[in-house]
Amino acid sequence: MIEVDGLVKSFGRKRDVRAVDGVSFTAPDGEITGLLGPNGAGKTTVLRMLATLVVPDTGAARVDGLDVVADRYGVRARIGVLSDARGLYQRLTARENIRYYGELHGLSGRALDERVDALLDTLGLATLADRRTQGFSQGERMKVAIARALVHDPATILLDEPTNGLDIMSVRALREQLKALRAAGKCLLFSSHVMQEVAALCDRIVILAHGRVVAQGTADQLLAEARTTSLEDAFVSLLGSGEGLAA
Amino acid sequence: MTGAARIGAVARKELRDASRDRRTGLVTLISAIAGGPIFLVLIFNLIAGQAERARDLKLPVIGQANAPALVEFLQRQQVTLSTAPADYEAQIRRGDLNVVLIVDDSFAADVEAGRAGTVRLVYDRSRDRARSSIEQAEELLSAYNRLWGAQRMILRGVHGVVGNPLNVEARNLATPQQSGAFVLFLVGYYALFAALMGGMAFALDTTAGERERQSLEPLLMTPARPHEIAIGKWLAVVAFNALVVLTTLAGFYLTLAFAPLPPVGVPFLFGPRELTRFLLVLVPITMLMPAVLLYVGSRARTFKEAQANVSLILFVVSIIPAAQLFLQRREPDWIALVPISGQYSLLNLALRGEALPALQVVLSYAAPLALVLLALAGVTRLLSRESVLSGK
Repeated sequence: MIEVDGLVKSFGRKRDVRAVDGVSFTAPDGEITGLLGPNGAGKTTVLRMLATLVVPDTGAARVDGLDVVADRYGVRARIGVLSDARGLYQRLTARENIRYYGELHGLSGRALDERVDALLDTLGLATLADRRTQGFSQGERMKVAIARALVHDPATILLDEPTNGLDIMSVRALREQLKALRAAGKCLLFSSHVMQEVAALCDRIVILAHGRVVAQGTADQLLAEARTTSLEDAFVSLLGSGEGLAA
Repeated sequence: MTGAARIGAVARKELRDASRDRRTGLVTLISAIAGGPIFLVLIFNLIAGQAERARDLKLPVIGQANAPALVEFLQRQQVTLSTAPADYEAQIRRGDLNVVLIVDDSFAADVEAGRAGTVRLVYDRSRDRARSSIEQAEELLSAYNRLWGAQRMILRGVHGVVGNPLNVEARNLATPQQSGAFVLFLVGYYALFAALMGGMAFALDTTAGERERQSLEPLLMTPARPHEIAIGKWLAVVAFNALVVLTTLAGFYLTLAFAPLPPVGVPFLFGPRELTRFLLVLVPITMLMPAVLLYVGSRARTFKEAQANVSLILFVVSIIPAAQLFLQRREPDWIALVPISGQYSLLNLALRGEALPALQVVLSYAAPLALVLLALAGVTRLLSRESVLSGK
């Protein structure tokens, strides 16, 4: 469960670039919430604030009731993040990459071994497990990055543009993974600038533009609000322009 | 999960990661193990060559016939005389000849008339290799001068002491170990250099490289605190650096102990005692440099940028011992406190076979350890900054 309440964040030397300007929304457990918006809308900054890497100027955010500023390490133990930057250690094998994060999350011994084996299995990485990630394809790297983010079995999962650079097969596999996590009762927050992605997967949609929430709700609610019959028209109408929405 | 366990996890991962980077690791270790021996063999051959040149002076002469007595004197002193070639000046400039003696055509006439006879030495004093030959030639000529003067006085019934009232007795306090100051400089410098350079590639790869490869942001989202990451990485680089230093010193030790080096009356000893003292002296630098390099690496956005900054630091750091060598005065006491300088002084003491003053050793640890803490605090601060994410 993620609760975001009036988040504001400015960057720049004089704090004159408002990346996020009063964003509020809620992402419940057992659902996939989509954060949709054109490039530069503030999606990554919102996710980084939730991931406790960036401190909001004002406003608050809570993950399972824990404040992201006051209790940042408590929050980190509960979230798994697939960030925009998803570099792996190329000289380490897939298994070693995942184990490292497990160790940092306090797992060890048999519990860690079993968890890593289970993840490798679920993500279809079993045959690649003991190869160095150097030669991996984009899709394979993505899987390792997801496994790494999920190694401590977090209740809340943040994904920043997870389908970037993936081929269609990898995207489909990823969708199945996310649906399985939703079925397991996890809270998923998923950012994308690709409307079709969000429409295909998300239960709830939060549309961001210029650092503000311009609309939120289920797909049906958004259609009703925009008085259109197709989601694409709805987004264009809600954003005020079609800029940046194309894949 | 304690902080110590996370620090351990970071250090283990970094060491494993580095050990997989075979090419960089091998180049570093091979140059460490082979560097010492190659270096020593070169130095020893240099010394041996110099000693040989000094033993039998070859002196080309112009106008031998003008001063037969001088020629005879020189031959008695085991000097190999020859006739100088016509282009002797050019040959001296090129370094083919060390020194040439010219006996003035009017030498005999001048001496007969009771004037001083003129001889000229031609040389290029800027050439290190020529120096011992030049000094030897000068010394022989002044010895001949004294001898000749004394003989003349005796002929006139005056004791030789009248003309040479000053009796200079030289007593050289250098033990066999202490001669060859330049060799000492090089050996100390080389050992110090190993401690400076050993962890460089590793430290930059684990900081600037990590950032460049986009694996830093995910790492910062784990429960590992920035200071734990900094300490873990530091421990890993220190371990590797220590390995490089050990390998380098072992190379020195094995070469001196077993390699067939030319017998040059070894200007220094490097046995187990010196090896231990070297290690003792190099500990603080082995710990300091990784911390400094991690800090520089963390400041840089890319590996390339980090390398550029590091080469500046290495230049400054490596020039300190050279500056110390050319310092003419005795070293001031506070130098023990200055990192690099303090270690360099102590390494020289160890090579000269002197005991290391305990106080000086303790003092030489103080500044590096304080700087380690400072640098690690700097790395922690950099890792805590939001701007570390954006590459800004």
